[in-house]
Amino acid sequence: MSTFALVHRPAAFATAGVLRTVDHKDIGVMYVLMGVGFLIVGGIEALLLRVQLATPNERVLDPSTYDQLFTMHGLTMIFLVAVPILVGFANYVVPLQIGARDVAFPRLNALSFWLSLFGGVLLYLSFVAGGAPDAGWFAYAPLTEPSHAVGSGMDWYIFGLAVNGAGTIIGAINLAVTILLMRCPGMVMGRAPMFTWMVLITSVLILGAYPILTSALVMLLVDRELGGRFFDPAGGGNATLWQHLFWSFGHPEVYVVILPAFGMISEIVPVFSGKPLFGYRFVAGSGIAIGFLAFGVWAHHMFAVGLGDAENAFFSATSMLIAVPTGVKIFNWLATMWRGRIRLEMPMVFALGFIASFVVGGLTGVSLGVVPLDLYTTDSYYVVGHLHYVLFGGTFMAVFAGLYYWFPKVTGRFLGHRLGLAHFWLTLVGLTLAFLPLHLLGIEGMPRRVWTYPAGLGWEWPNLIATVGSFVIAAGTIALALNVWRSLRTGDRAGDDPWDAYTLEWSTPSPPPAYNFDAIPTVRGKRPLWDRKHPDRTDPS
Amino acid sequence: MSSSLDPIVRLSLVVGIIAALILAGVLIALVVFTVRYRDPSRAQPPQIHGHRSLEIAWTAAPLALLAVIFVLSLVTLGQIGQGATFGSLEPPVTVSVIGHQWWFEFRYANGAVSANELHIPAGVPVELDLASFDVIHDLWVPELGAKSDVIPGQRNVMRLFTARAGTFAGACAEFCGLEHAWMRVVVIAEPRADFDRWLAAQAAPATATGRGLEILRSNACASCHVVQGQLAGTSIGPDLTHVGSRRTLAGGVLANAADAMRAWIADPQRYKPGALMPRVPLSDGDLDAVVAYLESLK
Repeated sequence: MSTFALVHRPAAFATAGVLRTVDHKDIGVMYVLMGVGFLIVGGIEALLLRVQLATPNERVLDPSTYDQLFTMHGLTMIFLVAVPILVGFANYVVPLQIGARDVAFPRLNALSFWLSLFGGVLLYLSFVAGGAPDAGWFAYAPLTEPSHAVGSGMDWYIFGLAVNGAGTIIGAINLAVTILLMRCPGMVMGRAPMFTWMVLITSVLILGAYPILTSALVMLLVDRELGGRFFDPAGGGNATLWQHLFWSFGHPEVYVVILPAFGMISEIVPVFSGKPLFGYRFVAGSGIAIGFLAFGVWAHHMFAVGLGDAENAFFSATSMLIAVPTGVKIFNWLATMWRGRIRLEMPMVFALGFIASFVVGGLTGVSLGVVPLDLYTTDSYYVVGHLHYVLFGGTFMAVFAGLYYWFPKVTGRFLGHRLGLAHFWLTLVGLTLAFLPLHLLGIEGMPRRVWTYPAGLGWEWPNLIATVGSFVIAAGTIALALNVWRSLRTGDRAGDDPWDAYTLEWSTPSPPPAYNFDAIPTVRGKRPLWDRKHPDRTDPS
Repeated sequence: MSSSLDPIVRLSLVVGIIAALILAGVLIALVVFTVRYRDPSRAQPPQIHGHRSLEIAWTAAPLALLAVIFVLSLVTLGQIGQGATFGSLEPPVTVSVIGHQWWFEFRYANGAVSANELHIPAGVPVELDLASFDVIHDLWVPELGAKSDVIPGQRNVMRLFTARAGTFAGACAEFCGLEHAWMRVVVIAEPRADFDRWLAAQAAPATATGRGLEILRSNACASCHVVQGQLAGTSIGPDLTHVGSRRTLAGGVLANAADAMRAWIADPQRYKPGALMPRVPLSDGDLDAVVAYLESLK
C-alpha cells in the first residue's frame, strides 16, 4: 500500500489499506487528513466564538456553551490539528529527506497515529456524554477539581489528552530514532536537511514535555476519582502546582508546534532564492538553543501568580533570551534571500507571509517576557492576539507553505497558482483583521475567556473587525479546499523535481514508490541534488 | 507619579519603540529583497553559505538590547511592586479583597464591607490583600496598571495608586468558571476627606425599615446575604448593608436602580446565567417591598 493508492484509488485504500498500512507516507498523509478534519471542527468552533463576541451583550451562545467551545477550540487546534499536521509532514518527508526506506519502527508508527486519533475521538465523545470540558485548554485547578467541575467533561479531557499524548510520545521516539540511525551513507548530522534537524529537536522536546502533562493528568485523575488533593487547597493541596506542571509541558509545546514550521521555512526560502541556507550551523544551533531554553521559561505564564520578584526576574531573563536564537533564524532567512534569485511560487509566497506575521508574534512575545508589561497584559486579549500571530501567522502560514511545496511530491500534481494567491491574500488579510485588533482590546482592558462583555468600554469596533477577519480566514480556507479538489482532478503534472530543489525527496518519483528509492543514495554535502545537478560547483563538504 | 500605571506606560514606550524599529527593519528587508532580487528564471546566483561575523553581530546586538530592557524592567518592577510608595509620603490604606464566583468582596479595617465596588483615597497608596473563597481569580484595574492573581490558600499583595480622583473599570482577569465575564468591579478614587466620609458611612449598620426586611427574613435570602444590624446571614453572597449606594448589581451586569434591582431579583439567571443566586418566587407586591427596602440601604 502506498500513497499512490491513497491519492489515486481512494476507495481501495479506504476499504483495506487504511487500517493495515505501516508505510510512513500513508501514515503521514493520514496524520495530515486527521489534522484537516479537526481543523474544520476547530475552525467552526472559532467562528461560533467570534459570532458571540461580535457585539456586546450578545446572546447567540450561553456561557456554558461558550466555555466548552473555547476550551475545545484550544485543545483541538493544538493537540488535534497543529501537532498531527506537523507530525504528518515529518512522517512523510523526513525518511525521504534522509534517504531511508521508512521510519525505524513502521508498526509503532501506525500505533502512534491511531492512538493520536483515538485520543481526539475520546475528547469529542465528551459532547455526547453530557458536556465537553469547559475550564480552558490550560484547565487551572481548583476549577477542575471535583468540588467545582461536577460533570464528566474534565475526565474526558484527562483520558483524551493522555491517549493522544501517548501516540505523540511514541511518534517522537520513532522520528528521533529514525533521524539518528537511518540517515543514508554520507549524511552526517551536519549535512542533514534543516527540516529534519528541527523535527529531531521537536521529538526531543516532546519526549521531555509530554510525560509531564501525562503525570499532571494522572494526578488530576487521582484528585477527581480517588479522592486525592494534589491541587485542592481546601484539602491541603496546592492550586498553583497544576500551573507549574501544565506550563512545564505547555511552553515546550509551543516550540513543538513552531520548530517544524521553522524547518519548513528553512527548506523553502533557500530553494526559491536559488541559494543554500545562510548560516546552516547557526540555524541548526539556534534550534538546539531554543530546545534547551524551552524547558526553563514556563513561569512567564505565571508572573501574576505571586511567585516573588526573584523567580519572576529569572523566568523573565530566560524568556527574553529565547528571542535571540529566534532572531538568528529570521536574520538568516533574510540573508538567504539577499542577492538570491527569488521565484515567487506559492510556497515562497507563504514563506514570506510567515516571516512577516511571525515577527509580529515574536516581538509581542518579548513584551510578555518583560514582567511589568506582562502584569498588565497577561490574561487579556493582548495574549490572545500574540498567540494567534505565533500559531496561525507562524505555524499555519508555514504549514500552508509546506503544503504548496510538498503537495506535488505527494500527489504528482501542482496546486493552482491563482487559487493559491486567493488563499494567501485572504489568509493574510483575514489574520490581520482577526488578530491585530485583539492586541488593542487587551491594552484597552478586555480580559480573555469572557463569554460576553459590556458596551461602552471601547471594545465594540475591535471585536467586530476581529469577527469579520475570522470569516475572511474561513473564506481563504475554502479557496484552499477548492484548490486541492481541482488539483487532484486536473492539476498540472509536477514531475520528480518541480521546484529545482536540493534535498533527497525530490530525487524520487512523485508520488514516491513504496520503497522510496531504487537504491539508497549516498550524499557528500548538505544539498545532494544541487551536487548532482552541478557537478562542477558542488557544495563544500 | 500620577498613577501606578505610569511606570508600566513608560517601559512599554521604550519596548514598543525598539520592537517597532525591529519590525520595520525586518519588513523593509523582506519587501526590498523580494522586489530587488525577484527573478523567475532558474539562473543560479552566487552560492553564499554564511558569514561568521554577521552571525555573531546579529546574536550579540539583540542580546545587548534585551539586557537593557531587562534592567529597565527590574527598575519598573521596583516602582510598582511590594512596598512601592509611588512618591507618596502617606502610609498605605489596606483593603482585604476576597474573590468569589463571580463577584469581589472588599473589606476595610473599620468593618466596612463592599461588593464589586472598591473605594480608594486619591493620592494615597492602596495595599490590596488578596484571598479567594473558591477558585483562582485575578483582580485587574487596567487604568491603575498591574494585576494580581487571587489564589485560594495563598495570600497575594498588590499595591495601586492614583493621584487623581476618578472612576475606573476593572474585572476578574483569570478564567474562573461560567460567569467570569460578569465579575467586574468599579474603582472609585476620591479625595481623602470624601473617602473617609464614605468609609465611616459604610461601617455603620443598616437603619432602613420596611416590610421588605421581613420578606428577606422569611425567605432563603439569609443563607447567602448579610445586612449588618438587621439580617444575620452568611457571606456566600454580597453583603447588602449598603447595597443601595452601589453603582452596579451582580458584578456589573446591571446599573443599580430600582427597576434593575427588581428585574434582577425576579430572575437572576436571565441576566447572569450560571450565577449562584437562585430565583426566589415572590409576589409582585413582595418584590416591590424588597426592592424598596434594598434601595433604601444607602
